[in-house]
Amino acid sequence: MTAPATPSNPNAKASSSITLLPAKDRVALVRAMILSRVLEQACCELNPRWFPAEGEEAVIAGAFYGLRADDIAAPHYRGPFLAYAMRGASLSRLVAQALAKADGYARGRALGFTGPADLGFVPWVAGDLGTTIGVATGCALGFHYERSDRVVVCSFGDGTTNRGDFHEALNLASVWKLPIVYVCQNNQYSISLHASEVLPVDSVASRAAAYGMPGFAVDGNNVVDVHRAVRDGITRARAGGGPTLVEARTYRLGGHWASDPGGYRVRDIEEEWRTRDPVPRAVADLLAEGIIDEVGAAKLWDEARDAVSAAVNEARRGADPTDEDLGSGDALSPSDRDDRSRATRIGPIAGGAPWRG
Amino acid sequence: MARLTFVEGLIEGMRHELRRDPDVFLMGQDIGKMGGAMGGSRGLIEEFGPHRIRETPISESAMVGAAVGAAMVGKRPIVEISFGEFLPTCMSQVVLQAANLHYMTAGVLTIPMVLRTRIGDGPYRGHPQCYESWFAHVPGLRVLMPSTAADARDAMVAAIRDPNPVILFEHMWLYHGARDEVPDTVGDYDLERGAVRRSGTDVTVAATGWTVHKALDAAEQLAAEGVSVEVIDLRTLAPLDIGTVAASVRKTSRIVVAHEAWKVGGIGAEVTAAIAEACFFDLAAPPARVGAPHHPLPMAKPLRDAFIPSVASVAEAIRRVRREG
Repeated sequence: MTAPATPSNPNAKASSSITLLPAKDRVALVRAMILSRVLEQACCELNPRWFPAEGEEAVIAGAFYGLRADDIAAPHYRGPFLAYAMRGASLSRLVAQALAKADGYARGRALGFTGPADLGFVPWVAGDLGTTIGVATGCALGFHYERSDRVVVCSFGDGTTNRGDFHEALNLASVWKLPIVYVCQNNQYSISLHASEVLPVDSVASRAAAYGMPGFAVDGNNVVDVHRAVRDGITRARAGGGPTLVEARTYRLGGHWASDPGGYRVRDIEEEWRTRDPVPRAVADLLAEGIIDEVGAAKLWDEARDAVSAAVNEARRGADPTDEDLGSGDALSPSDRDDRSRATRIGPIAGGAPWRG
Repeated sequence: MARLTFVEGLIEGMRHELRRDPDVFLMGQDIGKMGGAMGGSRGLIEEFGPHRIRETPISESAMVGAAVGAAMVGKRPIVEISFGEFLPTCMSQVVLQAANLHYMTAGVLTIPMVLRTRIGDGPYRGHPQCYESWFAHVPGLRVLMPSTAADARDAMVAAIRDPNPVILFEHMWLYHGARDEVPDTVGDYDLERGAVRRSGTDVTVAATGWTVHKALDAAEQLAAEGVSVEVIDLRTLAPLDIGTVAASVRKTSRIVVAHEAWKVGGIGAEVTAAIAEACFFDLAAPPARVGAPHHPLPMAKPLRDAFIPSVASVAEAIRRVRREG
């Protein structure tokens, strides 16, 4: 699959195709991708039912890098830990979640890949695909309603674009010009089905035309391309221009889950995509452009390995959830609670964002 | 004291909160110039404009998702699903998202949204399905079914102010029916309490929506036969106020549960099971359930009339629990 940055909507044009990204952002993006590669690998080793993001790091880093602290992010379930970490989530608490420990952000109540809601994420509280798109669109409605310039970035897989929720949400967002960027993390697989069997269009981005919104397909293994396209969408959304659909075309190098034998895959295509692995590619670009040297590149990997190793050790020591975490009386909130006394319900990140760059 | 119809009570509740709280808005189909299905939002677009009274496309799942997300970021949305028959089209947003978010974020988030919808047989006979028990089954939701104009207003206000997702079932037969006295000031409405509508000593009837009124008519008939019937309006189906029903049963020793929904798996099944657990040895007769027969809802009037529980079928159930004890 070739993946030029071709607008599917002839009326839409990429505004920043010639804008260069500053070196510090380039390094930060690569640093984030390396963290994702190492962190996801650790999660796969700890939990054979983990959904590996290997090969898709450029989409995640590019889509969620540089969001404002008061924006909302709704990352796809494959690889969301990077998005959480980029906004200040604790690596050890994330690993604790993957291990279903009490220290996880949901105290063992939600799926391992859920996000910390108080850091501005739409959490994963259900195992279906598509409803988070509706909820993320609702966050954008909240921002539109209060006439703020906050935005939402919401990612999902190519398979999810066959859900009715995708179509209803994009239509609604376009009708109301909601401030949201939809990012399709197109890894070409719906579990075992290749996209060619279930997507009757050449490009997910082309579906944007049906809803009167701009749609762009970009090389999902090129982190700079992904980031530019999403950033343009964010700029448009902040200015009141409404939603954008970005299709980032990539490839799932791993199985659907970590121990998936993947008998349905075509090995030579897989090997071909492995040569386009976005992580070494992004590192090579930085080296070629003289932004970092070999020592600097090695340091990025060492930092990520050290941080993940420390997080794994700490998470493993953590306790399992107890009856207190079960919270049998917690299904409903007390009626006198009013979260509007906080500046925003989910919003500004609490701590720093060490992996932001 | 104003005399309002049920639907006027609902609208008054929304208007009250739209005036009081700028974070409150309403979205739904045909709620603007048309005034809402069955006039259910009449007058609101004129007062509050299209930014707060938002017309939506026919996209129930996106509408409910939009309410969940807006609530998540601090708004107080009311989303109107025109008729309960359409709830299956947005079930995943209600059950998987709205209901789960508070618990599964370990209490970080609250989802202060109201989903209002119309159910039951009505003057036009369309969309009458009563699916409320599905939602009472799922933890994380409040489920309300008012039966008077005063409750319609006050339940709406309390639902809007509550930090949880609340589903408000509005019975269409009550919409443009008799007017009720509605106090000028909004009352403190307890979202977890049923209401005793008529005191009695011989038989307890617990009912919902329009069937509360049928139970009151049946009680009147039975009074002429010398039977004293206590009628409880369940009002809050989730959490269910079993305490009020159990207190009544401890007094009367007999219970009939009546609703318009299908009897199998209806809320009456939960009420009778909970009463069996709470006060089995107080019962002098097996509980009786009155509900619709187990087939899809027919359209023609004679079929519909045979299908829906009537004053006569409630009265017959009361007589039965009297005979059997």
